[in-house]
Amino acid sequence: MTVSAMLTLLVQGFGKSLEIFTLTLLGSLPLGLLVMFGRRSRVAPLRWLVKLFISVMRGTPLMLQLMVVYYGPFLLFDFTPPGNWRFGAVIVGFVINYAAYFAEIYRAGYESIPVGQFEAAQVLGYTGAQSFGRILLPQMIRRVLPPVTNEVITLVKDTSLASVIGTVEMFTRAKQIVASPNTPGMLALAAAGLFYYVFNYIVAFAMERAERSLAYYQ
Amino acid sequence: MKKLISLALALVLSLSLIACGAKQDDTPQTGADTPDTTQTAEKQKLIVGFDAEFPPFGFIAADGSYDGFDLAMAEELCSRLGWDFEAVPIVWDSKDAELAAGTINCIWNGFTYTGRENDYTWSDPYVDNSIVMVVKADSGISALADLAGKSVMAQAASSAVDAINANESLKSSLKEVVELADYNTGFMELKQGSVDAIAADLGVAKFQIASNEGDYVILDEPISTEQYAIGFLKGNTELRDAVNAELLKMAEDGTMLSIAEKYVDQGLVIDSLCLVK
Amino acid sequence: MNVLTMQDVRKSFGSLEVLKGISLTVGEGEAVSVIGPSGSGKSTLLRCATLLETMDGGLLAYGNDFAATMDAEGKSVYADKAALRRIKSRFGLVFQQFNLFPHYTVLKNVTDAPLTVQRRERGEVRELALSLLEKMGLADKADAYPCQLSGGQQQRVAIARALALRPDILFFDEPTSALDPELTGEVLKVIRDLAEEKMTMVIVTHEMAFARAVSDRVIFMDGGVIVEQGDPEQVLGDPAQERTRRFLRSYQT
Repeated sequence: MTVSAMLTLLVQGFGKSLEIFTLTLLGSLPLGLLVMFGRRSRVAPLRWLVKLFISVMRGTPLMLQLMVVYYGPFLLFDFTPPGNWRFGAVIVGFVINYAAYFAEIYRAGYESIPVGQFEAAQVLGYTGAQSFGRILLPQMIRRVLPPVTNEVITLVKDTSLASVIGTVEMFTRAKQIVASPNTPGMLALAAAGLFYYVFNYIVAFAMERAERSLAYYQ
Repeated sequence: MKKLISLALALVLSLSLIACGAKQDDTPQTGADTPDTTQTAEKQKLIVGFDAEFPPFGFIAADGSYDGFDLAMAEELCSRLGWDFEAVPIVWDSKDAELAAGTINCIWNGFTYTGRENDYTWSDPYVDNSIVMVVKADSGISALADLAGKSVMAQAASSAVDAINANESLKSSLKEVVELADYNTGFMELKQGSVDAIAADLGVAKFQIASNEGDYVILDEPISTEQYAIGFLKGNTELRDAVNAELLKMAEDGTMLSIAEKYVDQGLVIDSLCLVK
Repeated sequence: MNVLTMQDVRKSFGSLEVLKGISLTVGEGEAVSVIGPSGSGKSTLLRCATLLETMDGGLLAYGNDFAATMDAEGKSVYADKAALRRIKSRFGLVFQQFNLFPHYTVLKNVTDAPLTVQRRERGEVRELALSLLEKMGLADKADAYPCQLSGGQQQRVAIARALALRPDILFFDEPTSALDPELTGEVLKVIRDLAEEKMTMVIVTHEMAFARAVSDRVIFMDGGVIVEQGDPEQVLGDPAQERTRRFLRSYQT
């Protein structure tokens, strides 16, 4: 296999990794907010349930969760989810796992906002939704940006776990290339490593810019 | 809204908990009611699960397509029967789950029959392979007995591991058996000396030696002899019978041999094709 | 018509009874100072009046608008959400810790609630906000962020923010306690100006001289009850109650 053929295959694999990355963030960032609300709910059973959910999501390997999501419907209910479930399961598994982590990060950020901010909004007559959207959420976002950056970078690397249920993303692709006849040694893995690094560098750079753009107040 | 969310969360949660429990007993589902494989008005489809890191039986080609002796055979078989063909690269460890879930309906990828006779519904064996030991040419190891106190690598959950485990005296003489996900990693380890030998299928071993000429040798004495066949979900005799009949025809009329010759360069051993003989 | 009516207000935290049946009315244009040792219940009284705490018993009304009425046993029965939201526009509260919104400019801190909560017209709100800032001596700080201001300046923005909602009555919860001594003067001056304009105010404070100068009436609270109230000269200069005298003595030393 030529180097250019190898790079073409890797770029395809990277496209799949990028797809997992993007869809996971689009799903888990908002879902994390809902999970946080559940975690802070005044309804005790809901709170316990969400707490258990978070605990399971954080306490078991993502790899296992992906397998449960993928095989579960077949093995438990003899049910075949429609469409490309091999990929669908990857997205569902990643989204709920990351939502659990984001929920806890959000919660830490939310609870670190001084109580005076809540009271000021309340006395000024803001509704719950108004005070959340206008007063609390912006301050929360600023507080959670650094830990969220951490998770996002971890996600870039975690995309390789999708291979466990047979979704061929960049890392699996690199391993396949290495295994195929007449390939230049471990080059594909080294190239994949570089891809991951460069992409994470860009992510970190973008998040740093975002942090700086919110640094106008203390 | 909140109630809906809590309901959804509860569902996901209970599903994962139940499934965690269900995964403990690793037996594939038995019984004939398998999804996808029953012949209906729809066109029959053969979904072949394979390991894309297992040349010459399955690997990725330069154009990104999946290639290999077994896949070429499967594709030819499907076109002869007028079936749809799909090759699904799977994680080898998950092959039973994939089969049980119906996401594949056969495993056709240098799949060892020996020792798994009762776990699947099998085609006739078409390759007679052996598990052999590969060592560095300059290691001074020339027989299985020389491996006492040495580290041996084998692919995790592969028949090479089973072969070592079955050979008590060999196993107890070894320092350790290192189980890695694929053989390329294994040969890297062999090269740098972190393992002393690699237990592998003959075809895999020949392929690795061919691409690293003179560096490695295969010990004359095999660990075990074994046969490859096509594995189907246990009880799925209907699909097995159809595939097997056509497989025998392909062996008979020379198709198998002519396909096999294309993969000799990748390490396929023509002599091992027992249906052709 | 009284601007604020509180009647027989009771509040406990667990087994600790903090307010033991307080009644208080404030007339239009009146400036009332509330003094007393810490733990006397004066801050809790303010928090009950501004709906930050829920009263256990008692009545609370702004003008004719009842935030809470009493049932037969004297327990508080609160009005519905919509009524309470309406009532919140009738008072303003200035916190000890300012509690400005750090991500908004000074101007937006002042204009956001009138625009978002009261849905008033943008031009009018902006004009009012700028004139309030001018009055607070902060005309040049409209585009600054709270973190760029001194504590005294922040507290004056907080007063402007409360006034922008055009409340009938303004509450101050120890407005100078979090400030360095040299910054208290500028805040007290603003409050004094408001008193001269006959703004109705209830001020919880430790500044005795200030209370004497601006108040129409001084209330001394201790142990969850009003011990004494009346003309500032009388309460602070010649208190009738021994507890008041003791408190004032400890204060002067």
